[in-house]
Amino acid sequence: MMAETGYGEITTPQTLADAVAAMAGGAVPIAGATWLLRAPLRHEVLPERLMSLRGLADLQVLTIGPRQALLGAMLTHDALAGALVGHPDLAGLATAAGASANPGIRRTATLGGNIGTRGFAASDLVPALLAADATVILATGQGLQSLPLAQHLAGRGDAGLIVRVEVARSPRRAAHARLPMRKAGDYPCAIVSVSADLSSGRIKDIRIAVGAVEATARRWTSLEERLTGTTLDPALAEAAARQLTGDFSARDAVDAPGWYRLSVLPVLLRRAFTQLEV
Amino acid sequence: MPIELTLNGEAITLDIDPRTPLLDVLRDRHGLTGAKAVCREGFCGACTVHIDGQAVPSCLRPIGLLQGCSIVTVEGLAPPGTLNRVQQAFIDHDVVQCGMCFPGMVMTLTDFLDREPTPTRDQIKAALVGNICRCTGYERIIDAVLSLQAEGVA
Ligand SMILES: Cc1cc2nc3c(=O)[nH]c(=O)nc-3n(C[C@H](O)[C@H](O)[C@H](O)COP(=O)(O)OP(=O)(O)OC[C@H]3O[C@@H](n4cnc5c(N)ncnc54)[C@H](O)[C@@H]3O)c2cc1C
Ligand code: FES
Ligand code: FES
Repeated sequence: MMAETGYGEITTPQTLADAVAAMAGGAVPIAGATWLLRAPLRHEVLPERLMSLRGLADLQVLTIGPRQALLGAMLTHDALAGALVGHPDLAGLATAAGASANPGIRRTATLGGNIGTRGFAASDLVPALLAADATVILATGQGLQSLPLAQHLAGRGDAGLIVRVEVARSPRRAAHARLPMRKAGDYPCAIVSVSADLSSGRIKDIRIAVGAVEATARRWTSLEERLTGTTLDPALAEAAARQLTGDFSARDAVDAPGWYRLSVLPVLLRRAFTQLEV
Repeated sequence: MPIELTLNGEAITLDIDPRTPLLDVLRDRHGLTGAKAVCREGFCGACTVHIDGQAVPSCLRPIGLLQGCSIVTVEGLAPPGTLNRVQQAFIDHDVVQCGMCFPGMVMTLTDFLDREPTPTRDQIKAALVGNICRCTGYERIIDAVLSLQAEGVA
């Protein structure tokens, strides 16, 4: 099953500076390898020069502080799901990490790999992080740079090594709803992540992010505006969402046609809102 | 650079393409054919082994990332000629049909029971999401796992 590309190499830099220099020289980061090792199945060539991120302590950071959560790029989905339990503003991310893929993959695939994979529309962590207003910290030739996740996604993979993700803690509550399809290898065909401040009894500061519907996850701003100031009502939210699905150009793919993704979006929104009620 | 790791308790050194999946190293170089090559995409769980005590698919683990790791395959779970408690429960409950999925099932459930000694039916089902079985319908597998608890040996 190995691609016929000769004898490859995997180096293991021990500092961010060495890693950035290796990337500049053409080495491709390899984290959990769950995407890269499937290259032959996608009829792609597995890069010959790979760079393991195991030696980089900065990418292992995990701090859930009162003001900020720092989440290292090498954290696995499993580690994230375990660490985020009990924090309502991070509950969407905890659900995304704990429900994605299957247990063996969750123990292997990483946060950085989930964000850094080009051409992967069905990432669970990305919409959850968009709803959490996450910032990506990148190591580049110019040093560390921070970039809002949406901006990073716009040029995914071109901007350097993902070191960590930072999430400002907030009084918002968050939820994540997904519809996996067995025929798509259990990938979700649509994902809705929500985060909102409900402390006044009315919806404030809401973020709604949609994944797997278009090629790249993004916020559903028209629906955020429509629901701001209303009370938390899953049925009402579903009805409002149904009127606004035209905002998306849904992709047709083997797992589901675009129209199907759009038809389930309002239901997923209702489910996410129902989680917020608890 | 040679890759040094432990395989079923034995130190080994490999000088091969570091991108080679662990699954191929086990089957082709070491004759350990318990881990099955079925989907090769992390979906079916038939290739599951323990890496540093965690059950993961070996088809998506390049050997070059396993420097210093300890690998245990289904062949190394129990001393030769003996079975571990999950394997024994599968025999006692006559669970196995074609057997293709079972090495992976055993590896997943052995790790799972170490972490969760008294699981519910739903927890066992959730643990098996990444282990596909085309034959059994799963219910007898779950009954066998629950029996370990009933017998107080889990
Ligand atoms: C059967 C199966 C089901 C799955 N289901 C889901 C699911 O439901 N939801 C979900 O979200 N995911 C799912 N995944 C995981 C997902 O498809 C990717 O495989 C995974 O997110 C890649 O992470 P990784 O750490 O393995 O990355 P790798 O394979 O190591 O790398 C992937 C890409 O990211 C780049 N990269 C990695 N780390 C960094 C970094 N720190 N900085 C810059 N670039 C980096 C690499 O260079 C590469 O281009 C599933 C995977 C499998 C096998
Ligand atoms: S062969 Fe590895 S998960 Fe199917
Ligand atoms: S017993 Fe045949 S696949 Fe499980």
